[in-house]
Amino acid sequence: MQKTITLTRGGLGAFFSLIGFGGIVSAAVLLIWGGFSTLVIAALIVGLIGMIAWWRLVPDDFRAFISGRSVRYGTATIFTTVLLVGIIVMGYLLIARAAVTWDLTISQRFSLTQTSLNVIQRVNRPIQISGFYTARAAGLREIDDQYWRLYETASDGMIRRQYYDPEEVPALAQQFGVTEDAQVFLSYLNDDGTIDYSLVARVFLTDQQESDMTLAISRLLVAGTLTVYFSTGFGERSPTDDTQEGISFINNGMRESGLVTLPLDIGALAAQGGDIPEDASALVFARPLRDLTSDEVAVIARYMDRGGSLLLLSDVLFNRIPFMDQGGEFNNWLWQNYGLRALNAAVIDFVTGQTTPLEIIGAAIYDETDFSENLDPATNPVLFRIARAIDVNLSIENTDISNGRLIRSSEQSYGETDLTTLGETNTYEIDETTDVPGPLILAAWAWNQRNDSRVFLIGDSDFASNGQVANVVGNGILFTNAMNWLSHLQDEVEFGAQGFSTGVPMFYSRDQLDTITFFVVFLIPTAVLIAGAAIWARRVRR
Amino acid sequence: MIEVENLTKKYGALTAVDRISFKTKPGEIVGLLGPNGAGKTTTMRMLTGFLPPTEGSARISGHDIDTDSIEARRAVGYMPERIPVYPDMTVRAYVTFWARLRGMRRPASQVDKVLKQVQLFDRRDTLIRHLSKGMRQRLGLAQALVHDPPVIILDEPTIGIDPQQVIEVRETVRALRANHTVLLSTHILSEAEHVCDRVLIINKGQIVAQGKPGDLREKLQGGALLYVEIGGATAKDAKALLAGIPNVTSVEKEDKGWRLRISTSVDVRGEVSKRIMSAGYTLLEMRAETTSLEAIFLELISKEGSAT
Amino acid sequence: MSTWVVFRREVAHYAGSPFAYLIAFAILVLTGLLFREELVATETTIPNPAVIPNALSFFMVVFAPLLTMRLVAEEKREGTLELLLTAPVPDGSIVIGKFLGAWFYYTIVIGITLLYQIALSSVTAPDLGHTIAAYIGIWLYGGATLSVGILFSALTENQIVAAFLSMVALFLLWLADLAGQVISNIDAARVVRALSLQGHYSTSFAVGLVRMEDMVFFLGIILIMIYLATRAVESNRWR
Ligand SMILES: Nc1ncnc2c1ncn2[C@@H]1O[C@H](COP(=O)(O)OP(=O)(O)OP(=O)(O)O)[C@@H](O)[C@H]1O
Ligand SMILES: [Mg+2]
Repeated sequence: MQKTITLTRGGLGAFFSLIGFGGIVSAAVLLIWGGFSTLVIAALIVGLIGMIAWWRLVPDDFRAFISGRSVRYGTATIFTTVLLVGIIVMGYLLIARAAVTWDLTISQRFSLTQTSLNVIQRVNRPIQISGFYTARAAGLREIDDQYWRLYETASDGMIRRQYYDPEEVPALAQQFGVTEDAQVFLSYLNDDGTIDYSLVARVFLTDQQESDMTLAISRLLVAGTLTVYFSTGFGERSPTDDTQEGISFINNGMRESGLVTLPLDIGALAAQGGDIPEDASALVFARPLRDLTSDEVAVIARYMDRGGSLLLLSDVLFNRIPFMDQGGEFNNWLWQNYGLRALNAAVIDFVTGQTTPLEIIGAAIYDETDFSENLDPATNPVLFRIARAIDVNLSIENTDISNGRLIRSSEQSYGETDLTTLGETNTYEIDETTDVPGPLILAAWAWNQRNDSRVFLIGDSDFASNGQVANVVGNGILFTNAMNWLSHLQDEVEFGAQGFSTGVPMFYSRDQLDTITFFVVFLIPTAVLIAGAAIWARRVRR
Repeated sequence: MIEVENLTKKYGALTAVDRISFKTKPGEIVGLLGPNGAGKTTTMRMLTGFLPPTEGSARISGHDIDTDSIEARRAVGYMPERIPVYPDMTVRAYVTFWARLRGMRRPASQVDKVLKQVQLFDRRDTLIRHLSKGMRQRLGLAQALVHDPPVIILDEPTIGIDPQQVIEVRETVRALRANHTVLLSTHILSEAEHVCDRVLIINKGQIVAQGKPGDLREKLQGGALLYVEIGGATAKDAKALLAGIPNVTSVEKEDKGWRLRISTSVDVRGEVSKRIMSAGYTLLEMRAETTSLEAIFLELISKEGSAT
Repeated sequence: MSTWVVFRREVAHYAGSPFAYLIAFAILVLTGLLFREELVATETTIPNPAVIPNALSFFMVVFAPLLTMRLVAEEKREGTLELLLTAPVPDGSIVIGKFLGAWFYYTIVIGITLLYQIALSSVTAPDLGHTIAAYIGIWLYGGATLSVGILFSALTENQIVAAFLSMVALFLLWLADLAGQVISNIDAARVVRALSLQGHYSTSFAVGLVRMEDMVFFLGIILIMIYLATRAVESNRWR
């Protein structure tokens, strides 16, 4: 027993001596490799602790080592070990740099698809992939990097990757707009290798890194070429307002997608007889508080003739002549040219599941268009607050026009036309004679194939406000789908999902599960156990 | 054949083996005699290549144990003091393992032969954990012999087994003389006498005497020892009486009687009894003492002590 | 040759040792349970083809020390090391033979877990390439953990101490993967991570990618550990 304890001490001592040497050697290596740092000190301290522990545990061994009894062997071991470790570390670093990998996945997950290669081909200016990962996301960064480095290789250095720790460089992180850990951004590089901050696009990461990155690159390629103007001056929701009521979130989202967003004062423009800028890919009206004048309508009409795009967010406004007043000039122009108009009626929906019938969940989605992608009332519903009923003329005479509905309210809804009462007393009552019978349309679109002008009309603006977009996934999707189409972003970056395969989902019956459970948890292990018992029993008999 | 020159081993401050030198001839059985801690095991460990010597050199069949260690080891069969066994192996698997490890490619027939030699053939499929102490001892011997090495080193091969088995082991060792050099260590002089051609006595790491066992005994004892117990005499008178007998070189008090050292191998017993009788005392006991190893060691050690 | 002899003895030992079967049983039951968990958790979605190797990557922290603790420590205790060291063979071949024996045993056990993969194939079409990559990874990973175990077995005479120390060491090596959670400097965290076992498995082999650097890492660990273990065995000569 005595013996055991002393030997244990000896073993422990040897263990600590290893730690001691390890610490000191790594401190030396770090010093040579990366210069003086806290890490060197840490390694040194660990080394010293190991040495002291060794000395305290087995003073004899320690003294013998120092005094040279076993130095002949000991030092030789240390030197050869350091040498061996050094060679292996060097080999490792060289091979790590060469990045020799084999992608064994059948889906070739770590090899770029043709789609990605095509996109990379189009890159003609150096792009930097800027990854902002903290130490906590080091593992994530490792995985992501295995994708990003494919882009670097495939683009022959045209795309390069660079990592930052957002906690180390908070100013830079802010410049990029980093909001959380493990975000990745794309930007062009200037000739001198510095980052061109004028176009910074975020890569929206899911667990499909390649498709995410390729999408982001193709967005960056069109970025700056597409400009969206926000109408200002009529009391609209402001793209720079980051309160619950503002629409800064969607503005930022558009910028991250590579769109340029700028304000535009239509009123001033009309007064000067000017025109909407040539580069406008789309024009957004985020709930103006007044209707447009004839001059203003004329400006818009000229713009639309050139193939413009309009996003109209019109809300119920009480006690006022609203934007797109039912009998107003703009509303009439839109009805005649595109078959779309807003009604002076607030949608009251009794099947909402919300606190009040004024809060409306899009009850049905017309899924004949791309707009409905990812929108599903069951999983990603769209939520409106005090929405305005709109109308679509599906049988418009102009054959150049195609239009359609996207979202409607439920069967148990109607359009309340007595907006004054509703606004003042917050009460409503169905009046068969004046009110509009449900279901009512809440979002609709129109397209003129002759000049490629596009209109998207939504009878609500609250849905796009920061407070709503942040919480209701469907709202963000609706806005994104509409904007991708209006701004032509979709045409530029769209590619099929078939290139990025995932895997085969698993289905099994209860019986199958039970069989497998029996097989793996019971049968195989027990077979091994029985084999062991049998062999043991045979040996014991000898 | 073993050639040892100034072989020294130091454990820190302790010198376990101190500049020993000796040579063995082929076919010779050499005994290493010494008390506990004399350095027998240490010497053997150096010769078998387990421990590197601190100083000095040794050669086994011409291979230096330091510079040509592998070849030297190949020439040795070693049975350590504590028989090392793998309890979960069978006898045959165990011997086969060592045969293979020492370079035999097809050891089966040789293994059978050596198992027969040590009378373990009947137990060849027994697990070692079920073997008795004596069987394990013989198994240790089998593993040392199996690859038929020119030099065999046995560290106390007969320790801890019953007399019958001791005789068997000794027979086996003696039979090895034909074509092996054997170095064995022991505590027991009679064993050395029976088995060895030559004996080296070491103490405190040094060879203090060597030679044929018979000669050695003679030399060390410096003659014979006689134990005598006398009734009716004062100690002083008895001592004077005994010292006066011719050929008696010394008289020492021992228990109730006296130990006489006789200078040559003449038989003085008649003279002793006669003198006691004539002095009017009674002879209570008289016997010739066979020299115990301990007595010799005591002798040697005390000589050492007085020498230094 | 001598390596082969020692290897064969070790394999024979594992094959005849009830303890080895017990450990295999424990590994299989635990992986089996985790495998079933994964099946239930990912019903109607895509199961992780590397679920069994991933489970093993943690289990080896516990099982590698149990499998290797006796390798050298027992020889020392029983005194057989003295005979081994007087056999005409290099010290390294003894350690290598023992290591390969343990690795072989481990290979058989993970080979058995491949049967679970067949069970998975019966209910879905898992990405077999991904599975193979993960198995290559966990095979090397297991070899590295076994080599760490053998080093500690060589450092002490007490098996329990050997097992305990190597468990601690392996746990630290395993945990270092999470260095980022405590070290705020990402470069330091990455260096620490690069030294961890998981760091060379969880982000490459486990996702279906075989990287040469990871193979070099594991083989390097094995090489260094075996070298040190050999030195530790050899130290019995001059202690
Ligand atoms: N590994 C060791 N470390 C330190 N001292 C040792 C070591 N091995 C032996 N010694 C010491 O060296 C001396 C000689 O020991 P050795 O084992 O050679 O004696 P021995 O003649 O074989 O004794 P015994 O008859 O008891 O077997 C002793 O004093 C012993 O304590
Ligand atoms: Mg001894």
